[in-house]
Amino acid sequence: MVGYSMELAWRGLRRYPKTTALAVLTVAIGLAASMTTMALLHMLSADPLPGRSQHLYLAWFDAVQAKPQTYTSLDNDWATYDYKRLKTADAEALLAAHKGTLQAAVADLDAQVEGDHGEPSNEHVLATSSDFMPMFGVALRDGRHWTAAEDAARAPVAVIDSELAQKLFDTTKAVGRVVQIKHHAFRIIGVSQPYSPQPHFYGLNAWTFSGSDRESIFVPLGAAMDAGLAASSTDGCDDVTEKSKQYIAVDPVHCEWLADWVQLDTAQDVAAYRSFLDHYAMQQQSALASYGKKPQWRLLSVQQWLTLQNAIPDNVRLNVWLAGSFLLLCMVNVAGLLAAKFMRRGVEVGIRRALGASRRAVMLHHLLEAGMVCLLGGVLAWPLTLLGLSLLRMQDQGFTDLARLDVVMFAGLFALALGVGVLVGLLPSWRVSLVQPGLQVKSA
Amino acid sequence: MDIRPILFTLRRHKLTCCLLVLQIAFTCAIVCNTIFLISQRLDLMRVSSGVAEQELVYVQMAYIGSRPDEKARAAVDVAALQSIPGVKSATLANELPFDNGSDNSDVRTDLAQRMPVLKASQYFGENLAHTLGVRIVEGRDLRPEEYVDLSDAFTLLAAKQYDKLPKVALITRAMADRLWPGQSPLGKRYYVGKNISFTVVGVIASLIRPGQDRLDASVQYSSVWPLRLTLIQGSFLIRCASQDRDRVLRAAVDKLKALDPNRIVLDKGTMEQHRRDFFQNDRAMAGILVGICIALLIVTALGIVGLASFWVAQRNHSIGVRRALGATRGNILHYFQTENFLLTTMGIALGMVLAYGINLFLIVHYELPRLPAIYFPVGALLLWCLGQAAVLGPALRAAAVPPVVATRSV
Repeated sequence: MVGYSMELAWRGLRRYPKTTALAVLTVAIGLAASMTTMALLHMLSADPLPGRSQHLYLAWFDAVQAKPQTYTSLDNDWATYDYKRLKTADAEALLAAHKGTLQAAVADLDAQVEGDHGEPSNEHVLATSSDFMPMFGVALRDGRHWTAAEDAARAPVAVIDSELAQKLFDTTKAVGRVVQIKHHAFRIIGVSQPYSPQPHFYGLNAWTFSGSDRESIFVPLGAAMDAGLAASSTDGCDDVTEKSKQYIAVDPVHCEWLADWVQLDTAQDVAAYRSFLDHYAMQQQSALASYGKKPQWRLLSVQQWLTLQNAIPDNVRLNVWLAGSFLLLCMVNVAGLLAAKFMRRGVEVGIRRALGASRRAVMLHHLLEAGMVCLLGGVLAWPLTLLGLSLLRMQDQGFTDLARLDVVMFAGLFALALGVGVLVGLLPSWRVSLVQPGLQVKSA
Repeated sequence: MDIRPILFTLRRHKLTCCLLVLQIAFTCAIVCNTIFLISQRLDLMRVSSGVAEQELVYVQMAYIGSRPDEKARAAVDVAALQSIPGVKSATLANELPFDNGSDNSDVRTDLAQRMPVLKASQYFGENLAHTLGVRIVEGRDLRPEEYVDLSDAFTLLAAKQYDKLPKVALITRAMADRLWPGQSPLGKRYYVGKNISFTVVGVIASLIRPGQDRLDASVQYSSVWPLRLTLIQGSFLIRCASQDRDRVLRAAVDKLKALDPNRIVLDKGTMEQHRRDFFQNDRAMAGILVGICIALLIVTALGIVGLASFWVAQRNHSIGVRRALGATRGNILHYFQTENFLLTTMGIALGMVLAYGINLFLIVHYELPRLPAIYFPVGALLLWCLGQAAVLGPALRAAAVPPVVATRSV
C-alpha cells in the first residue's frame, strides 16, 4: 500500500507544478533561515576541547584582603571584573599541592615581541606552568615543552606557534633561536601548531570568540614575571596595593590575575578536590573576617564556567528565536497551500473512497505528498543554508567565523525537514480523509 | 457590498481560512516586533557624541611600561604632533568617545548618601575639552594651573594627601540636571570617593560616555578632570580640518615612529571610522532583521497569491454562473478583494494580541522597552496593503472569467 501511496503522492506533486514549487520554496527558505542560525548557535555552544574539557575545572577561592566591592570609586577600585582569578602565591600553592592529575595557572598577557629582523610586533603571550601543554592538548610540531624544573628555575624558555615562527624567523624550524619578549631574551624550545580552541574558555578576560586573536607564545610564569610582563586587568586587589598598580601593570603579589585550572579524571577526584579547596578557603577566614567577608570558593566545570560568564552572545539566541518563528510561519503557509490543493481533489478522493479506499490510505497518500514537498524543500535548503552561513561569515563579529555546517547539523537539517513535513501535512491530510464517498460522486 | 455571501462561502473552507488567518497573524506579530527591534538599533546608532567627529583623528600606542622619563616623553610627543601643519590641537586622552570600555566612578552629591546618584565616566587629558571640540555652555574651561600629572595623582592618593588632587571638573548638561535638577551646577560640589571631591566650573552641552553597555539614559554622564596623562599609555587625539585628516594621521604616525622606532601602533583612524566600528554589530544585526522582515512579507504574500489562485480556479464555474446571471467584472473583483480584506482583518486582530505577547516575552528576557502603540495601526495598514496587492492578480483573473463558462460542464 505504501508503494501505491508513494506513486499517487508523486503524481499529485506534479499535477499543479506551480503550487508545488511555491510550497517547496517556502519550506526551503524557512528551513534555511532556522538552520543558519541554529548552526551558528551549535558551533558557539560546542565543546571547546572535545575529549578533554569534561575533565577540566577552574578552581578559585577568595583571598583578597579588601572590602567586598559593592561599588566602584577612586578610593576603592577602578573597575570590577569577576573572572575568578587568584593572586600569585595562592595559585602557586594550589599548583604545589598537586591534588589534580594535572594543574596549570594561566594568564593572558600582551607584549612586544621581536625576532631576528623586521619590526617588533605586539603579540598575545600565555604565561603558564609546565602542565598546560599536555593538559590542554597543545600539539607540538617540533622540540618540547618546558618541565616543572624549568618552571621552578624561572628559565627564560618559550614555545611559539608555527605562524609566529614563520613571521619572526621566516622558517618554522625555530627551535634553538632566541625571541625577544619585552627586550628579554627567551630561548625557543618548541614550535607548536597554532592553538585556538573556541570559545577561549581558559582566558575569557582576554576574549571569548577570537576571530584572528590567538596566543602565539607560551612562556613559564616565573620567567614572564621576571621579564616585567604584567596583566592589564584584575578581579580584585588587597587594600595595601598601590593604586597605580591596580589597573595598568597589575601588581602580581596583591592582585588576582592568574586563573587556576585543574584536571580531575574521576568523580572521586572532583569530590576530593572540592573538600581540599573548601579546607583551603577556610584557612583564609581570619584574614578575611576583618574585611567583613566570609570564606568562599568555587570549582567550576568548563560548561558551568561558560554559562556563568554568558559566553554566547544574546544576539545569537534572539536570531534563533526569530528564525524559529519564521519557520513556523512558513509551515502555516505551506499547510494552507497543501490544504487548498488537497481539497481541490475532493471529487477524486470521493471516488477513491467510493471504490473502497480506506481513510488511512487516503491520509497516508497525502501525508506522503506533504513529506515529499518538505524533503524537496530540505534539499533546496541545503545550498541556501550554506549561502546564509557564508553571508554570516562575511560579518566581522569575532564569533561569526565559526558559522559552519557540520555533519550533525547537516543530519539535523533533514530530520527537521521530515518533521516539518509530517507536521505540515497532518492537518490537511486529516481533513481530506474526512471526505464522504457518496456525496462527492453525486455532485460530480 | 454585502459580506454575508462571502462569509457563507468562507465557512465552507474553514481549514484553509484558519491557516491563512493564522499566517497573517504570525506575520503581523513578528513584523511589528522586528521593525521595533530595528528602530531600537537605528536609534542607538544615531546617538550624538557632542564632539567634533568630523575633525578628529586618533593614534593608540601599545603600553611600553613606566619609565623615568615618561613625563618628558609625553610632552615631546604631544609637541611634535602639534607642530604638524594643519593640526589645531593635540593631546593624550585616557579614553575616547566610542571606545568599547570606559573609566567610571560613582558620584554622590553628599557623602551621607548610601547609594550613588549616578555613575559617570571621567575623561582626562590636557586641554581635552578644546581638542574634542565640545561646547561649554555655562562657566569656563579648565585652566592650565589646575592640571595635575596622573602619576603624581597616584602618589598623592597613596600618601593620602587628598588636598593636592585636582579640585575642579567639567560635567555634561545631562549629568548636571540629574545631580541638581533645576539648579545652576556652577560652584556645586560632588564626591567620587570618601576623600575626593570636585567643584563644577563648567557645563558641557553634550559628551558621550564610552562603552558598549552604557547606551541608555546614562549615555551622557561624562566629566572631564584636570589630569595630565604622563604614562605613555593613552591615545593621542588630534583635531584638524576635516579635509586634512588623512594627511595629518599619516604624518602623526610617522612622527611618533621617528621619535621612538620601537613603539607599536595598536590602532589609528578617524573618529568617524571609530564610530562606525563601534556600531558594527548593531548595523549587522539591523541588516539581518531587515532581511527577515522582507522574507516574512514575501512568504506571506506568496501564500496569499497561492491560496487565492487556487480558490479562483476552484470557483471558475460558479464565477461563470454569477457572470451569466448579471454580475459585472467589478462585482467579481470586489468579491475577492473583500474576502481578502475580511481574512486579513481577522489575521491582524489575532496578530496584535500575539505581537503584544511577543513584546512582553522580549521585555522579560532581553530588557527591551514596550512596543509603542503607533506600531499597531501602522502594522495593520502594512498588512492590509500587502493582502490587497497579493490578491489583485488572482482577483483580476477571476474577473476575466467569461460568462460562457457557466454553460460548460466541469
